[in-house]
This record gives sequence, C-alpha cells and structure tokens, in this order.
Amino acid sequence: MNLLNAPALLFALIAIPIVLLYLLRLRRREQIVSSTLLWRQALLDREANTLWQRLRRNLLLLLQLITLAFLVFALSRPYVEAPGGISGRHIVLLDASASMMATDAPPSRFEAAKAKAREMIDQLGPGDALSIILVDHAPRALTAATDNKAELLNALDAAQPSLHAANWSAAIALAQATAGSESPIITVISDGAGGGRGAGPANGLPASPLSLLPDTARFVPIGTSGDNLAITNLSLRRTLQGLAALVRVENMGSQPREALVSLRVDGALADARTLIVPARQSVAWTVNGLDLRASAIQATLQAGAGNALAIDDTAYAVNTVREMRRALLLSRGNLFLEQALLALPELEVTRAMTPPVLPDAGLLVAAGRDFGFDLFILDSLSMTLPPEANALYVGAAAPFTVTGQFSNTDYVRAEAHPIMDAVDWRGVNIQSAALLDAPAWLKPVVQTQGGPALYAGQRNESPSAGPLAAGRIVVIPFDLRRSDLPLQIAFPVLIANTVEWLAPAQGASIPASIRPGEAVALPPNSRVQLPDGSVVTVGERGFADTDQPGIYQALVSGARAPIRSDFAVNFINPAESNIAPNLQALAGRTESAPATAPETATTQREIWPWLAALALVVLLAEWWIYQRGLPALNLKRATRPPNT
Amino acid sequence: MRRGRSIEFADYRNYTPGDDPRRVDWNIYARLEKPFIKLYEDEQDLTVHILLDASPSMRWRDETTDGSAGASGKWTRAAQLAIAIGHIALTSGDRLLLELSTRERFGPKRGAPATAELIAFIESKSAEMDLRESRIAPGLLAPASGLNAWWKRYALDARPGICVIISDLLDAEGCTEGLNALGASRLDTRLLHTLCPAELEPEFAGDVRLKDIETAVTQDVSLDDATLRQYRDRLRAWTGDLRDLCRKRGARYHLTNTATPIEQIMLRDLRREGWLV
Repeated sequence: MNLLNAPALLFALIAIPIVLLYLLRLRRREQIVSSTLLWRQALLDREANTLWQRLRRNLLLLLQLITLAFLVFALSRPYVEAPGGISGRHIVLLDASASMMATDAPPSRFEAAKAKAREMIDQLGPGDALSIILVDHAPRALTAATDNKAELLNALDAAQPSLHAANWSAAIALAQATAGSESPIITVISDGAGGGRGAGPANGLPASPLSLLPDTARFVPIGTSGDNLAITNLSLRRTLQGLAALVRVENMGSQPREALVSLRVDGALADARTLIVPARQSVAWTVNGLDLRASAIQATLQAGAGNALAIDDTAYAVNTVREMRRALLLSRGNLFLEQALLALPELEVTRAMTPPVLPDAGLLVAAGRDFGFDLFILDSLSMTLPPEANALYVGAAAPFTVTGQFSNTDYVRAEAHPIMDAVDWRGVNIQSAALLDAPAWLKPVVQTQGGPALYAGQRNESPSAGPLAAGRIVVIPFDLRRSDLPLQIAFPVLIANTVEWLAPAQGASIPASIRPGEAVALPPNSRVQLPDGSVVTVGERGFADTDQPGIYQALVSGARAPIRSDFAVNFINPAESNIAPNLQALAGRTESAPATAPETATTQREIWPWLAALALVVLLAEWWIYQRGLPALNLKRATRPPNT
Repeated sequence: MRRGRSIEFADYRNYTPGDDPRRVDWNIYARLEKPFIKLYEDEQDLTVHILLDASPSMRWRDETTDGSAGASGKWTRAAQLAIAIGHIALTSGDRLLLELSTRERFGPKRGAPATAELIAFIESKSAEMDLRESRIAPGLLAPASGLNAWWKRYALDARPGICVIISDLLDAEGCTEGLNALGASRLDTRLLHTLCPAELEPEFAGDVRLKDIETAVTQDVSLDDATLRQYRDRLRAWTGDLRDLCRKRGARYHLTNTATPIEQIMLRDLRREGWLV
C-alpha cells in the first residue's frame, strides 16, 4: 500500500487542537450551589463508576481521534496494487459510425461501447490519464487527457453516434497527434463494421491505418450479429405511365428475411409489398404509375427480425423530374445552337424539323401552362405559338414584320438585361440583320449602328394581354451562320442567360439527394424547412444543417420570387448498413491479447472511499455513545405545583 | 397553636399543711368537711421559638424568584413562613421569640401588634444580608451556619415551648447533634425543612464544577442521567434519615418545596401535619 498524497498526513496535526479542546473542556463550567453536601455523597455512591466515566470521556476522545485518523488517511489517498484494470496513459477510440446504432447489443452498440469506456474510466487509477476520441466522419477528442472521472463520464454521456462512416485514418492520426512523444495505450472500441459488402479486408477498420497502431493497442469488439435489412436505393424515373420509383432492399444478414416495404407519396401510402430477401442479396421493387406531380417519396422498411439497424430502414426522394426543363428546338440543323443548348443542365432539348402538333390552344389554356415544353427555340423556322409560350427566335423568319435589312452592325450599346449578363457583344460581327417592326414590349437589347441586334421582352407588359399571356420572347434578328457570334465566348453565355431567363431553372443547382451532413449550396436568405418542422434561414455560407434524414423543403431565393426546391437527405450507406462485426479485422488484437504488457497487469486502486466510510461509522458510534451517556436537556423536568 | 388554659380544672388532691388556703375548694369542704385542694392545669406562658436559618445556603438563588404560581426563593419563603407562624403565635397571645442563625434575636414579644415589628425585623435583616452578600464573594460569606452549635446553645437556655426551625439543613457537619440537644430539652421541636426546586431537581447539565456557596468547596460533576439519579436517591435518603431522626428525638419534620405556594403550606400542609389547629 502506498500513498499518493503523503503531505496530507500533516492534517493529523488537527489532533492537537482536538486534544487541546478536550483539555479545555475539562475546565468545567463553575456553578454555585447551595451545598455540595449531597453531591459529594451522591458521587461517593458512584465511586465505582468513575472509572467508567473517565473511560467514557476518553472513549469519546479516542473515537474522535480514530475518526480523524481515518479521514487523514483517506486524504493521503492510499492505494493498493490490484491486478487487472488499466493504468498509464490511454486513448480510447470510440467508434461512432452509423453501424454503432445497431441494436444487437442492447440498447445499442454505441451504448455498449460507452459502457466499456465507462468501465475503463472506473478503473482509471490516480495519475493515469485517459482521453476519448469519438470516431465518426470527423473524429474529435471529447476530452483532453485527464484523470477527472466526472469530466470523462460527462463527455462520454454527451457523445452520440453519427450517421456517417468512421474515418479511421483521421482518428488514428488524431490519436497519434494527441499522444505526442508519449506512447499511450490505444484502445479501439468498435464493431469493425462499415466494411461494405463482400469480404473485403477490414474496411470498417481498414488494415492500413491499423498497421500504424502500436502492438500494444487493444481492441474491444462490440456487436455480435450482422443481421440487418436496409434500403440501399430509392430512385425516381419518369416513364410513360407516370412516375416510377425503384426501391432496393438489401439483406446484410446470413438468413433470408422478409421485409414489408411501404411507399408513401407526399405522406399518403401509395403501395406496400412484402419482399423476401435472400441472405446477402438485394431485391428491387419498382412501383409504377405514381403521380408525376408528386413531390416527396418515402420508402419505409419493416421487418420482424434480423433488422438491427433502424436508421437505414427509411429512404427519401424528391421528384426532381418535373424540374427538368424541356425545350423544343425547331431547326434545320444548327450545330452551334445545339451544342450550346446541350451544355445547359436540366434542359431536355427536343429537335424537330417541323412543328409538332400541339394540343388545342383552348385546352391548353384550361390546363394551365403545360405545353409539354417550357421553351421554344425557333431557328429560322416559324411556328404558331400560344401567347404565353417562351420563345427564342433566331434568324429572319421571325413572326414579326421585317421592314428591311441592315448590315452596318457596329456595336453601339447594350441595355442592362439579364440575358446580357457577362456578355461582351463588342467583338460580334454580323453580315446582315433584319430590321423588325417590334411591338412596344419587345425592347431592343443590343443596339448597333444599323439597328437593334437583339430584342427581349415579356408579353404581359402589354396592358391588353391577359394574366396567362406571360410569355417571354427573345429575338436574335439574324442568322447565326451569317455572323461570328457563335464563335465568340459570349455566345454560350448568351444562350445560357437566355434559357435561364426564358425558363428559369427550378433550383437547378441543388442535388436531389444528399448524405447527412453534406452541405448544400443554397443562396443566402433562402428558407429551409427541416424534416422536424423547424425553419432555418440560410446564411452566407450555405446550408449544412443536414443531419436529419428526410425531406427538406427549401424556398430558394433568387433574383425574382423564391423558388420552391426540395431536396432529400438520405442515410443510404450500404457500407454502414452492413453491420456485421468485422472480427477478422480484430482477430489476434482483441481485448485479451495485449494484456501481457507488465505495466497494464496491475492497477492502483484507491481505498479512500472505504476509509471515509469507516470514519463515518466511527463518528456515528461516537455520537451514539455521547447521546446515550448524557441526559436530554431536563429543564422541563422541574415540577411545578398546581395552583391552589 | 396550643396554648395553656390556666383556669381549667384538672383534679383534686388532699390538703397537706402548707398549701395555700385560697386553693381549698370550700364547696367540697362544706359538703364533706374535708379540705381538698383543687388542682388546675399548670398555668404557664407558652413560648413559640422560631429558629430561622439565614445562612448563605438559604439565601442561594433567592433572587431567582420568578413570581409564578407562588413560587419563591428559599430565603423569601422561609421568611414568609416565619412571619406567618410568628403572626399566629402573637395573635394567640403566646410569647414569640425568633432567632436568626446569625444569633440576632427578635422578641420575646407578645400580642398581635408585634407582628409588624417582626416583619420589620426580618426585612431589615434581609436588607443587611443583601448588602453584605453584594460586597463579599460567594464562599467568603460569613461563618457557616453551624446548625449543631447554634441549636445546642439554644437548647441550653430556652424556655419550654414550641420550637419551629426553618432551615434547609444544608450543613457540612450535619445537624444530628443539634437535633439531639433540642430533643433533650423541653422544647417541642418542629423542623420545617425548606428546599427549593433547584435542589430537589437540579437543572444544570453537562460537566460542571459545583461550588459550595458557604464553604467554597468545589466538586466536579458530570451530570448525566446516572448521576442525577444518584443525586435524587441521595436526597431521598437524606430527608428520610432526617425524618427518622426527628421521630426518634420527639420532633416533627416537614419538608416543603419553595415552589409550593405559601397558602398551601400554611392552610393545608401544616394543618394536615397537625402543627396548626
């Protein structure tokens, strides 16, 4: 037995004032009485008891000194060497990857891992130090190396598993950076899972970073079963029958399992089916004929058994298909234009030589704006369009009256207009352009000496037009092949601006589905409603509050009115869904293996709590003896005669 | 208080030469022609002696009278008892003689008006003693009461009569010899033992050093339940012994607690004891 805090023994000097107090206490309170006669006689009778009385007094002193001795001894923090346990400096790498949420080690693998870590903290001896590194996609140290058990336990309690795979390389690098020049004992508490399908060599705990660990590293495996069912894919596709959803369910376990998969469209149950998934295989289920206008699709998996991980049982998708802009290019062939259009995202270009048969215009009006095309590009061909159609006219065959031609196309000036954003027209040479009798709402955008070289306008600026007559028109009044505009850098920019202005993309820059924690490039001041209902306003740095899987409803602010643009955050991560503990990776390096190191064979076990408890017991005994020996205050015992 | 009835007939006896012819019952002589002497109860003065203990122990805690329910300090109560008994004696035509343990005497006096003088005497002596005690530290107070010496001396030259002793009997030497002397005299001794509640049921607790107010002798006591029990046993034995001793010496003994109202002592307790009629 050794003392950790030997100077605390100086507290034993408190015994001196205690004894002094006793001596002082023996100087009794003087009390004048009428006579000591009776007292003397009474005490003579008690002569035999005086020894006991003296002893009792000394007994109290003795007990108090014993109490003090225990307390001082406790303060000096004695310890005994006990086998087992831990000592020295430790770094615990606590796996917080998504697979640690599996419930095969109830309540969950992560809780079991925390319990293991707690055991280690409990065994922590004085002078030892332990730090915990929480290993998820961005490993971080929960505490600095400390022996403060309360701090460690608090940090441990606050730790939560993440929805990500563990980044072991970073974690081990962090551990080595934390260790510095010391060589702490690294303990890895992990299920080793996350390796994905197949018997790849220890993907969860990749072999290469593991080889960086010293041989003294210990591995505490968590988890027993690999039984899990997961939705590994949910995708939407536009078909002739409407929207089709593809759900892929994968069985990570070694037994065939049944799973009830239900598909909800905008919250309403659309279809459900029981799938039988063979062991280590996946089954796809396609649901056809969903409403094209559906916005949010959710697939949920329910299984009675063999489904340890709950987070991968739900997948979300938003219907991004409707956000594809469709353009009709009516052209006899214009490579420049086609290339420029094909480069644009979310634009589906249909090229035709002859105008397609459009539905009756009256029906169109009744059905709203759905022409089947968001945008018409008429390259030197003409077509009758409804007034609300957005159109780009290229060449002389515009529906506007041509009043003449001009060839003096030197640049004069350009109006400020969205389509001219970042377009430099100055170097553009045009052989000849048509002079148009443009209506008032069709404004010249580029002026040359001969006349306007570019028109743009919106029909509803006309007071006579109805509310639906909102079509935007851009006119390039010359044949592109008779100018060097397509060869200019300005051309793709102009086309992109034009398409963007004529048919604004519906949040085109936002991917339909992202992983939790990934950032989304939303413009500032956009408003996002999270799956839990809270609303976040996006700041300058974009939106990264994507920790909850689910549908995020975003109102993307833009130059014009905000655009509704939803996106889904999906856990889908087959590697993490494969929760089978990768024991091969840990084989030979498990808990018991490195116990041969002599410095870990014993631990210093402090015994001060026992001493404190003993001190309390002795103190209680002292109090009891004191109480038993003395009368209760007997002032009230003085008899009062009744009044007569 | 009993008193002599000197004109009361007692007996006859034969005339012997030398008898006072005035005491011959001439009516009998007329009928029987024989002289008989008529005997009467011995006609004598009844003297009531009051021996009032004014020792420091009697004065102990006299100022702690709290005035509630007639309780009072030992000295106050003793003085009240002395005045009350003295008053009864005076109004009954008896001779009253009061002596303090300081040997100061009042009387002999006779007749009711002397009551006022008695009160004045006791009050003046109380005041003197208060003054003295205020000047002198406890323990250095004037001589221990010396009950034995006082009573032995008093018994020597006391006229026959009733002797009422009012005292706490707290004397280091005890009072056995004094009681013996009084018992041997022709005094009808009545011992009114006056103790206060603090003596009957001590109130202090803990480790104390008890100091005798008269002798300044100290005694260390740890007051626990056992000690207090011992004290009460001792007190009971002591008063029992005193009662036995008094009975043997033909004296009467009564223990009063100063917490008892004086009315109750005078009107009930002493009548029950037969001290008063």
